[in-house]
Amino acid sequence: MNADYSKEPLLEVEGLKQYFRVNRHFTVKAVDGVSFKIWPGETYGLVGESGSGKSTIGRSVIRLYDPTAGKIIFNGTDISGRLSPKTEEMLRTQMQMIFQDPMASLNPRKKVEDIIGEGLDIHHSCKTAAERDETVKEILKKVGLAPEHASRYPHQFSGGQRQRVGIARALVMNPKLIIADECISALDVSIQAQVVNLMKDIQDETGTAFLFIAHDLSMVKYISDRIGVLHLGHLLETGTTDEIYTHPVHPYTRSLLSAIPSPNPVVEKKRVAENYDYAASGIDYSQGTDHLIEGTHHVLGTDEEVNAWLAREPLRYS
Amino acid sequence: MAEREKILEIRGLDISFKTTAGYVHAIRGIDLDLYKGETVAIVGESGSGKSVTMKAAMGILAKNAIVNGGSIQFTYRHDDDTKETVEILKKDKKWIRTHINGKRIAMVFQDPMTSLDPTMTIGKQIMEGMIWHFRTPKEEARSKAVELLKEVGITDAEDRMKNYPHQLSGGMRQRVVIAIALACNPDLLICDEPTTALDVTIQARILELIRRIQKERGISVIYITHDLGVVAKVADYVNVMYAGRIVEKGLINEIYYDPRHPYTWGLLSAMPDLDTDDERLYTIPGSPPNLLHEKQGDAFAPRDRFALVVDDKAEPPMFRVTDTHYAATWLLDPRAPKVEMPPELKVRIERMKKGAGLE
Repeated sequence: MNADYSKEPLLEVEGLKQYFRVNRHFTVKAVDGVSFKIWPGETYGLVGESGSGKSTIGRSVIRLYDPTAGKIIFNGTDISGRLSPKTEEMLRTQMQMIFQDPMASLNPRKKVEDIIGEGLDIHHSCKTAAERDETVKEILKKVGLAPEHASRYPHQFSGGQRQRVGIARALVMNPKLIIADECISALDVSIQAQVVNLMKDIQDETGTAFLFIAHDLSMVKYISDRIGVLHLGHLLETGTTDEIYTHPVHPYTRSLLSAIPSPNPVVEKKRVAENYDYAASGIDYSQGTDHLIEGTHHVLGTDEEVNAWLAREPLRYS
Repeated sequence: MAEREKILEIRGLDISFKTTAGYVHAIRGIDLDLYKGETVAIVGESGSGKSVTMKAAMGILAKNAIVNGGSIQFTYRHDDDTKETVEILKKDKKWIRTHINGKRIAMVFQDPMTSLDPTMTIGKQIMEGMIWHFRTPKEEARSKAVELLKEVGITDAEDRMKNYPHQLSGGMRQRVVIAIALACNPDLLICDEPTTALDVTIQARILELIRRIQKERGISVIYITHDLGVVAKVADYVNVMYAGRIVEKGLINEIYYDPRHPYTWGLLSAMPDLDTDDERLYTIPGSPPNLLHEKQGDAFAPRDRFALVVDDKAEPPMFRVTDTHYAATWLLDPRAPKVEMPPELKVRIERMKKGAGLE
């Protein structure tokens, strides 16, 4: 772990709201007041089921959407309102994204060197063609591909290799923050582990911060320093990986953790996952306030709810 | 224990696909047995041939598939309790369509959105199979469909009958797919990655549902999956596949607590573990082989850090560990040097055994 918490946070998100108006009568509140911080060199894992708004947060932060309300401060600059050309240039070079499906996010008609080099070309980062080639080859080596892969097309690669190209494309701009949106979900188990380890190595080397968006809690554990649990657009619980895994407080977090099947057949056959139904639980997320449990561990809920949750016996995995 | 009744027997199945780039040897000799009421899991990475094997068992192979050899014997009972065994590979598509597909063997696919018809109400889709196979009167089929929806845990079943797939959530859709599969009372249910497209919380509930139904109806289930956690929850027997071959098979406890093949070691080690503070995940180096190019010897050898010289020369046969546990690796040959599984995995298995109260 190489996060530096003494420094100023790299990214500060305050009360972010992202609404999508469907029609006059109906607005989807995909993200409803979410606040979190990411420090330089840190990995923040954002987990939740589909429809919880985790991808929307990533896209709002990198400004693929225009946030409805809230403040986003990145690298000391406010990036939530209209972007001045200078701010936009900073944002587009310092923050990068890796997408879920490596086949769909790579242009099939472009060679790998042009996919990776596109950012360099747009921002005129390289003076000569030779310098550009050199940079591309270096990045390829860093993500575990060979220099001769540069002249190939995306379809000539396997799934894991394609995702490496996606990572290389994000890395080439030397960003301070990379948003990884479900970047391992589409890969095989053995390949997932390779990509997760690669991302950790890269972080050790370059000190890049990651916003790691995933629905698979077991993988998130390996890569994240801190975790935020998201449900229906609300950040329910946040804390260090250890705090979340050993003392989950919110019933939704508990249900997520208990649903992970463990590779221990005798135990797993008897185990029944904890159930959580928002409609039946009587919890209203909009009524909840932020409660500090200990350290950096925060939970969203009313006073009575949090006290009741804390009184329950801890979750056991095996 | 009552006499086990064998319902599916696959012997020496060998399948190639003819593609523009040449022949792809996808299945290279597979043996598999399934008994009534039991659950078998087939585990492997994408491209290892697990789906192709089951498609062959259902007689729904793609047009460019060539069966080089082997047999698939499926045994079922007629209504008057007389047994009949058929050779699936010898029957023509039309016969299989009317006698096997949906009626005796039903399949649940990975993505419920693509396996449901978006232009038909879910009620109609459940009734369709019954009306087609058994000429069930419409009213009777309707009431049966409502019952099935209730059985798979859908509330307000009556109203839901009129819904279209897009009006349901992913978990609900998968429940509907299961209801359709159960509509004709099949003897065998094949689940091809039934929960991969779903959230973990819903995955747990779908697996519990399939298990409950299996117990109530006494049907056999084959799971195709790459998730060893899912397998641990549901399976009695496990077959680990790699590059078109079964490399290790055995009872679930044998595979999880006493794995013998280096590939199984790798798969188990690569599973994220909630109990440890390990910073790094174990990985199997490289990627699965391209079956377009036939390789001499053990297909896993290039990725295997325990590979022996003989692995490049000859393919290992299935070595017997116990009567139910077999593994295809030269490491089990008496002449081979003694190789232990990686120490990290050993520690983990010890811990799992303790957790399970086996020691």
